[in-house]
Amino acid sequence: MAYHNQYRPPHYNNAPQDQGFLWNIFQRVDKDRSGSISDTELQQALSNGTWTPFNPVTVRSIISMFDRDNKGGVNFNEFAGVWKYITDWQNIFRTYDRDNSGFIDKNELKQALTGFGEQCYRLSDQFYGTLIDKFDRQRKGQVAFDDFIQCCIVLQRLTDVFRRYDTDQDGWIQVSYEQYLSMVFNVV
Amino acid sequence: MSFHYAQGYPGPGGGNPFPGQPPTGGAYTAGIPPGGQYGSAAPPSAPPAPPGYAPYGGAAGPSGGQYTGDQAPGAPYGGYGQPQGGPYGQQPPGLAGNVPQGVNPEAYQWFQSVDTDHSGFISLKELRQALVNSNWSAFNDETCLMMINMFDNTKSGRMDAFGFSALWNFLQQWRTLFQQFDRDSSGCISGNELHQALSQMGYNLSAQFTRELAAQHSPRGGSMQLDCFIQVCTQLQSMTQAFREKDSAMTGNARMSYEDFLSGAVARLM
Repeated sequence: MAYHNQYRPPHYNNAPQDQGFLWNIFQRVDKDRSGSISDTELQQALSNGTWTPFNPVTVRSIISMFDRDNKGGVNFNEFAGVWKYITDWQNIFRTYDRDNSGFIDKNELKQALTGFGEQCYRLSDQFYGTLIDKFDRQRKGQVAFDDFIQCCIVLQRLTDVFRRYDTDQDGWIQVSYEQYLSMVFNVV
Repeated sequence: MSFHYAQGYPGPGGGNPFPGQPPTGGAYTAGIPPGGQYGSAAPPSAPPAPPGYAPYGGAAGPSGGQYTGDQAPGAPYGGYGQPQGGPYGQQPPGLAGNVPQGVNPEAYQWFQSVDTDHSGFISLKELRQALVNSNWSAFNDETCLMMINMFDNTKSGRMDAFGFSALWNFLQQWRTLFQQFDRDSSGCISGNELHQALSQMGYNLSAQFTRELAAQHSPRGGSMQLDCFIQVCTQLQSMTQAFREKDSAMTGNARMSYEDFLSGAVARLM
């Protein structure tokens, strides 16, 4: 109950995607025609809306999420998932970037993160400040699209691992030193 | 994003210059450790943790993200691939004319050759091209990003000469430790060697945990190279600090809320 999938984008559109449309995109992104889209290819294809290169860490996170056999890229079938994932996030981001500045500030971030999914669990304003501080690569006091996705991915991973230890779902855990290390080591 | 995770640690920290280190000739080999220059206060001779830090010990190791202005007199940077330096990494003399104050002259020479676009800053791409492990593999992205974040005092995602000079000291210290703990001089750290290394740095971790850690950070089930060694040790230092903040009684167990957990981990993101 306490922490639902609040850092995953809701599915805006569950209609099957047009395969022909996706195939066209895939072919344009797969510059070397290898049948697989690499980090670099995806990064070049993506825009964070601000003329700076898309966050390479975000690209790596997204690729590894869909790259099932750990080959270092995504094939066409996996790309369908990548495309949907990114467009779902884009819809969220646009909803909360009210002034279309390409950035969302602390209050907008808070609304975005509490807005999708019922969140019985409150996080303090100070925590949202920490998030902005950490994920704002451009040092503007607000986060761009790519950094926003990365922020949500990290929160999701931490929440998943926390939930595994919080068996009684009361929002508190008791862990040993080694348990703690293994919880955080692969996330951050 | 600088990480002052080393604050309050009893380890030797970033404060040890390397007095009188002799020039090392063979640049890339992980062969003979230059010998003892990490200072006599450093592991393995003296675990720095006071007994009161049980059960998880004090974490030693080079500290990053702090600008101590330390100089390393006469210590040529032997290890990490100097693209224009020739096989022995020797730099032409007399280049140190415009070295900014507080920047190590040797580091400055290296800075100029790594800064291939002459922007006055080292980007992730430039750093990646400059750093190699002893098996000639390039440093991984994660470690390079982590180090840029640690030494990016301009908050711009890149390093200026001052940050780079601090990184230079940091890398030298880790390389020395790496060579010390690579007991069989294989050029990499095995699971057993990592366990010994971490115990001597003062961490109280089970052999099984360390083995898993080594396996997770060794590409293709192989060996742990310098880049992953630095990454693992730095994260361990930082995460130990995060845990310790919640384990004020030093029991080895901590109770934390959802927000405690999230903010402790996020604040120490590399």
